[in-house]
Amino acid sequence: MNLDNTIHFEHVSRWYGQVIGLNDVSFTIPKGLTALLGPNGAGKSTMLKLVTGQIKPTTGGIAVLGEQPFANPRVARNLGYCPEIDNFYEDMTGRQFVELMATLSGYKGKDRTKRVQNSIDRVGMSDRCDRKLGGYSKGMRQRIKVAQAIVHDPKVLVLDEPLNGLDPLGRRDMVNLYQQFAEEGMCVLISSHILYEVEQITDRILVMYKGRLLAQGGIRDIRKQIDSHPHRISLTTDNPRKLAGALLLDDTVISARMPQDNHRVVEVETAQPDKFYSNLADIILDGGFEVDVFQAPDNNLEAVFRYLVSA
Amino acid sequence: MTADFRLFLNALKDVLSSRRIFVALFLMVLPAIIGLIWKSAAGARFEALESYNTLAAGLVFGFILTILSVIYGTGVLSQELEGRTIVYLLTRPIPRWRILLAKYLGAWLAITVTVSISEVLLALAMFGTKLSGVPLMSDIKIIPLGAAAYGALFLLLATLLSKPLSYGLLFAFGWESWVPSLPGGFSRWSIMAYLRTLAPHLQETAEATTETGGGGGGDISDLLMAFNPVSIPTITAWFAIPIITLVCLGLSLYFFSIREYSPKEEAS
Repeated sequence: MNLDNTIHFEHVSRWYGQVIGLNDVSFTIPKGLTALLGPNGAGKSTMLKLVTGQIKPTTGGIAVLGEQPFANPRVARNLGYCPEIDNFYEDMTGRQFVELMATLSGYKGKDRTKRVQNSIDRVGMSDRCDRKLGGYSKGMRQRIKVAQAIVHDPKVLVLDEPLNGLDPLGRRDMVNLYQQFAEEGMCVLISSHILYEVEQITDRILVMYKGRLLAQGGIRDIRKQIDSHPHRISLTTDNPRKLAGALLLDDTVISARMPQDNHRVVEVETAQPDKFYSNLADIILDGGFEVDVFQAPDNNLEAVFRYLVSA
Repeated sequence: MTADFRLFLNALKDVLSSRRIFVALFLMVLPAIIGLIWKSAAGARFEALESYNTLAAGLVFGFILTILSVIYGTGVLSQELEGRTIVYLLTRPIPRWRILLAKYLGAWLAITVTVSISEVLLALAMFGTKLSGVPLMSDIKIIPLGAAAYGALFLLLATLLSKPLSYGLLFAFGWESWVPSLPGGFSRWSIMAYLRTLAPHLQETAEATTETGGGGGGDISDLLMAFNPVSIPTITAWFAIPIITLVCLGLSLYFFSIREYSPKEEAS
């Protein structure tokens, strides 16, 4: 296995009795921000539990920072985990909980106090950290879970559905924070079942479905893997009929149609999106068209996911 | 404060949680209350030493020590699993065996203190403050040993089984009630038999019960006891209890280090 890569799975399968949780999955996750995407029951949590060393693979090999992670304190030293579960030691305050986790990570005295305060500050809980966890809102609990995950400055941060329960403002703050972690050189792996959420966080994704890894890479890279499916582009213009005619003359275009409900829009299908995009500027300039809106809905994650699942 | 000491304190704190503290307090005073009732009911015929021995053997050792060991011993792990907080512990850079050992020591201390207080209160209820000649100190000495052995055994059950409490109760009140009385050397498979060897007055109580009940009033266990004179040498008992403790604890720490402990809902 390649020791330079942060997280590496090689033909990993995991069974729960007769039920398969993960089926022959191989991938490598480098530093930066990667999203693990899939509907509920896709195997995301199983994968994250394997990464964090809570469970062992039935077959295959896993390396996190070059070592197998199961019950391995050396891996845990450099790994932070924010679980999806909403359970805590409810009678503790947020600060006490983060302090406990810092103590279990081996920190003492002033160093621990400083680290605890720093991680609480980073998640925006400074003013509420001395209240009992039992009285926290869902969003506050999410933030404290993140604080305990970063208190020991891990190199790898694994976050299981970390945006659940956050309001839009909190969601934006936390997304910025995760992106900041990635910029600081951390390997951040975030799981989510909400497509638009992932799209806003990163363009590097792993797509899972029924225990299988359907695709991995950038959203555009994944789109390339499914180029057998036509790529749709939508253009809003003052003269859609004429633009449709001009587009149909281009050999990269499979079809061009005007939807019934919007007479200013032309929807184009192409099997060669890159070539089409380079030709499109010339077509528009040569025809003197005014294009108000340009959309490529197939580039969004929803479409990618739909294609992958249907394939 | 080190991670181990913090875990130890947390285990103690769990034991002293509002729900459990009431159970512990009740068990602490129960033998003394029963003793006082017995004393007032018996009147002039009251034999303080005999009553003390009977209640110490049957209630303190036979019930409170075992039930607390089952609850606290299995609770070391099952409380974290049921509360699903085990995830936080298992993803920290601390060897798993140290987590379990620290929590076990917390549970052991809680069992020892609770049972010891119960024993002292019983002695005070029976004898008042005149405790000379009372076998209280010999009992107090073996309570930590019993707590260690039972605690380790039930901890082992918790590391191996999904419903350790049920199996623990079955062992404590099934096996430990009957096996010390079975003929043919079966008593060597019982922790209680070794504890009784170390505190002979507890055994004498059992034998006295057999003798007095032999005329027709005794139950099957009394009858079995009559055919099974205790023959475990004291030195054997002194070695056996620490060995049972070390073996059970060692296996618990080993299994906890190699097995998976995922919260139930997620594993299913």
